[in-house]
Amino acid sequence: MNTLERHRKLSAIWASERGLKGWFSTVNHTDLGRMFLVTAFFFFLVGGILAMLIRAQLATPHSAFAGPDIYNQIFTMHGTIMMFLFAIPTFEGLAVYLLPKLLGTRDLAFPRLTAYGYWCYVFGGTMLLVSMLFGIAPDGGWFMYPPLTGAIHSPGINTDFWLIGITFVEISAIAAAVEITVSILKFRAPGMSLDKMPIFAWYALVTALMILTGFPPLILGSVLLELERAFGLPFFQADLGGDSLLWQHLFWLFGHPEVYIIFLPAAGIISTILPVMCRTSLLGYGWIVAATLGLAFLSFGLWVHHMFTTGIPHMGLAFFSAASTLVAVPTSVQIFAWIGTIWKGRPELHLPMLHILGFFLTFVIGGLTGVMVAVVPFDWQAHDTAFITAHLHYVLFGGFVFPVFAGIYYWLPHFTGRKRFFRLGEVAFALIFIGFHITFLAMHWVGLLGQRRRISTYQPEDGWTMINLISSIGGFILAIGIAIVLVEIILHAMTANRGKRNPWKAGTLEWAMVTPPPAYNFASLPHVTSREPLADDPGLPARLARGDGYLADPPTEGSRRETLTVDISTGRPDYHVAYPGNSRLPIILAAVTGLFFLSLLLKTYWVTPLAVTGVAILGWLWVWSRGHKKDMPPQPIGRGIKLANSSTVDRSPGWWGSAFLLTADATFFGSLLFGFAFLWTVAPGWPPPALFEPSALEFATGLAGMGISAISIRRAIGANRVGDKPGAWLVMALAGTGLVAVICITLMLRAPAPPGHAYGATLLVLGGYGLFHAALATMMILFLMARVRGKFAMTACRAEFSVVKLWVDYAAVTGVLILMAAHLPGALG
Amino acid sequence: MKDLLRILIAPLIWFVAFSSIYGLHGLICGHGLQAIQIGSLSLPRPLLVAAYLLAIGVQMVVLGALYSAQFRSRSGFVRFVSRATGWTGLVATIWSLLPAATTSYCV
Amino acid sequence: MSLTFLTLFTLGGCQGELSTLSPAGPAARDIATLWWGMLVGALLILSFVMLLILMAFRRPAKTADEAQQVRVWIVNLGLIFPVSILLALLVYGLVIGERLLPRSSAEVITVEAEASRWSWTFSYPDRPGLQTQDVLHIPAGRPVDIEITSTDVIHSFWVPRVAGKMDAVPGHVNVLRIEADRPGRYAGRSAEFSGSGYASFGFTLIAHDPTAWESFLAGETG
Repeated sequence: MNTLERHRKLSAIWASERGLKGWFSTVNHTDLGRMFLVTAFFFFLVGGILAMLIRAQLATPHSAFAGPDIYNQIFTMHGTIMMFLFAIPTFEGLAVYLLPKLLGTRDLAFPRLTAYGYWCYVFGGTMLLVSMLFGIAPDGGWFMYPPLTGAIHSPGINTDFWLIGITFVEISAIAAAVEITVSILKFRAPGMSLDKMPIFAWYALVTALMILTGFPPLILGSVLLELERAFGLPFFQADLGGDSLLWQHLFWLFGHPEVYIIFLPAAGIISTILPVMCRTSLLGYGWIVAATLGLAFLSFGLWVHHMFTTGIPHMGLAFFSAASTLVAVPTSVQIFAWIGTIWKGRPELHLPMLHILGFFLTFVIGGLTGVMVAVVPFDWQAHDTAFITAHLHYVLFGGFVFPVFAGIYYWLPHFTGRKRFFRLGEVAFALIFIGFHITFLAMHWVGLLGQRRRISTYQPEDGWTMINLISSIGGFILAIGIAIVLVEIILHAMTANRGKRNPWKAGTLEWAMVTPPPAYNFASLPHVTSREPLADDPGLPARLARGDGYLADPPTEGSRRETLTVDISTGRPDYHVAYPGNSRLPIILAAVTGLFFLSLLLKTYWVTPLAVTGVAILGWLWVWSRGHKKDMPPQPIGRGIKLANSSTVDRSPGWWGSAFLLTADATFFGSLLFGFAFLWTVAPGWPPPALFEPSALEFATGLAGMGISAISIRRAIGANRVGDKPGAWLVMALAGTGLVAVICITLMLRAPAPPGHAYGATLLVLGGYGLFHAALATMMILFLMARVRGKFAMTACRAEFSVVKLWVDYAAVTGVLILMAAHLPGALG
Repeated sequence: MKDLLRILIAPLIWFVAFSSIYGLHGLICGHGLQAIQIGSLSLPRPLLVAAYLLAIGVQMVVLGALYSAQFRSRSGFVRFVSRATGWTGLVATIWSLLPAATTSYCV
Repeated sequence: MSLTFLTLFTLGGCQGELSTLSPAGPAARDIATLWWGMLVGALLILSFVMLLILMAFRRPAKTADEAQQVRVWIVNLGLIFPVSILLALLVYGLVIGERLLPRSSAEVITVEAEASRWSWTFSYPDRPGLQTQDVLHIPAGRPVDIEITSTDVIHSFWVPRVAGKMDAVPGHVNVLRIEADRPGRYAGRSAEFSGSGYASFGFTLIAHDPTAWESFLAGETG
């Protein structure tokens, strides 16, 4: 088979459908990555226009441009869009597009999940846009502090749009994070051990793990606040045993890691691009990996530094002040490693390098002001002033927007296969750089002069007029710069100015393909022996295209999309993977998920169970279609190696995906228990008037159910493995999860007066959580029973059994904790 | 998987220790335990310092294990990164929980 | 650019009734001093880092061994340099923080502040029954503990020239220690976003000399 034939065959297998309908059924990471990036850039422009409105409003005192009601919506939506609809999706888009190419493979771990995440993002984002068009957008500030956002003080639908829309969008973040984690750990080219991974993959891995542990607290907070607004469960009302500070803890437990979730991918871009711009290799790869991990962990110990003025005792503040200063150290390791990299090489001032230099100045200033506000007494003055607004823009614009622009200009030739024709980018950079610093340097100053953030107007006597005017002028210069970037990208995509391959002479694998990239990425997968395979072997792209690597021969029959996985640490080939093809299931599932959220938003609760049923049915079909009626023998991957197929192993991609999804789930559950303990110790109005009546019978029945389900699923797996019928054991497991469900229902029914006190409300949520997981486990066991009855080849293709075991175990373990949380306080006194 | 654990263990322990000692402090102030006296010392300080020292001790044991022939990774790269994160965990514990021994509580 | 920034600060820094940089009380003064110190330190560090980057472009390329570079850049500059500065800053910050805490003493006067959208009510335990709306009276030159709470949403008590801010959280009472050096009027603001009336939500702090304070408590001025 020659190169062209191979290209045609692989293209036929991997390509999305032609024309417009291909957009709705594609599961290809290259297409979806581009779609993510374009959509995120659209939201960046929307958020930018809102920013211009803010600056127009504040340019003069007594501004009559917008009244407070509209102005509050504008700044709330500016923050919300930039954080949730621009920054995070940009990371997702870039990672989705780049990772398989950098890792030397053909797609991400779960192609349909990528598509599902994208459509959740689009639908959720649309909900928020619609609210803005109708003038009923959220208006409580992007961190949505109750009681202001509670039903008493914000009775309108505005706040619900935020709580429900953002939770919907976060599904896409969680989906992408699971996807990215499993892909980086398992879906790499053979030979790529951990130390040979391109540095961007390390950053993306750490970021994805942070999303899995950082987003759940916010999702929990949103769920609780929406429950309070819709059903009167008083989690945040001080007079009914709730506490508004609980929201602040949950929000910032998410909100601070969020800053690093935004910064780390950008740092990954710099670590990738900077050495290429300096014609050298990255200084201190291992140090940077360790610094990134350290940064990720420390960022979870900073959340209270957003709460220095809430009256927490000084020792509590001091812990977080100390951790907040310490977090500057791993950041500084990275900054100096980059400067050392410039010294090591011969820097060339290409356009991406200009943006990197812009990053250095801006981000270092942002970091230094960050250390200042980490010092508690200074924060008591600076908190909630324009100084903070300025600081966070230095961090986020410096630490994210400049690096992303560097990345866009660096990978633009890869996205399109073209080269820039008009040199508008340099002008744009100058305007952005100058405009940004004028806008936000001025804001530090006016903040110290006492200007609070979020005010809609001020008096001439305040003495801020001139500074605000200067700041607004800077803002408009910045906006013109960004408009020029947009024009240049459009011109770039329209002019057919073919570029050459690998224009930057980079060493990473994404350049070992023709550009724009083919749907299958690599005609055959490389064997990786170093961090920069292309630098070692410039002939690699041609050899891969000729079929000189793994999986070079497309399947002779059918149109199976194939790749392989590797062992996590060593990079030895592990098993063979066959992907699903194009499908409309993701967009349909996202639409039905959207229906669920919409029914909650519009309070048409009779639709909610229908939507949940719809999601369950589609989820069932999603997995059902992956079954095998025949045994899957080991598959050849070339070079004389045969690998087991992923459906026949215990630790399949589905198992890994479940494990990481459960990590997020466990964080959610942990946050809920934290909330329970927090209310109990800190909130006014505790202990509650009546404790839950403990019942030895219910407690024992619940434990028995959990034990039976966990043991039976193991017996079922054992029976299946040796070829016996697992049916009887599955029925037993079903009985076990059924018992757990019943006990959770009784817990919910017996929770004392949920609308009357946060105690009962929390028990209701704990019971609901247990019920949901018991129901999920029940459905999975039923699924296995259906597989067995349908005479699928389950003995050989046993992967689904281990996945179900994981979920059954999780339901059992959390069930025990829920029972203890409910029954023990009453039993102990 | 074990290599990932080696890399992540020390910072994880830091996070657990950090949250627990912050929680302990909240518990002491929330339930009025600061009033209890043991001799001339009031109860919270010895309690907080003991927890602080325990956390440091655990980190030192972990760091020692990461250097020991028995527990270290076979990959040189993972050895390097796990020791770096091990040191990060130890330093972060000493640094971020230092207020437990020095600043005043419950004001 | 940083030079112009500094000039702007010194030009505008000492006027304005809401400026944190023209302190009129010990807490605000400690914090303003802290700020100027940190600003100078930050400018020095920033210049140093930028200089290192500029020099990288001007110097002839030469090859050094990687271990040496790691030691210079990562260990010395990346680790040891920030750790030493941050440790000093942390200790300094904690010492100031301790100094500003509301410790009990005979000198101290207590005032209760209750915020609701959009007005502050102040009451004076020294004179039961006395309440003032949106005007807070204190004696000058004596430490005052403000016991802050809220009846509806979260607000924040802030008199920028006198001290830092403290939130008014429903269900909690937070204590902020303030002190004004001299008799006079000081502008106060509520510094936590509270909805449509937020922009103009503030109050006035009046610090009295001892005789005026006595007559205020006696109900002669109000």
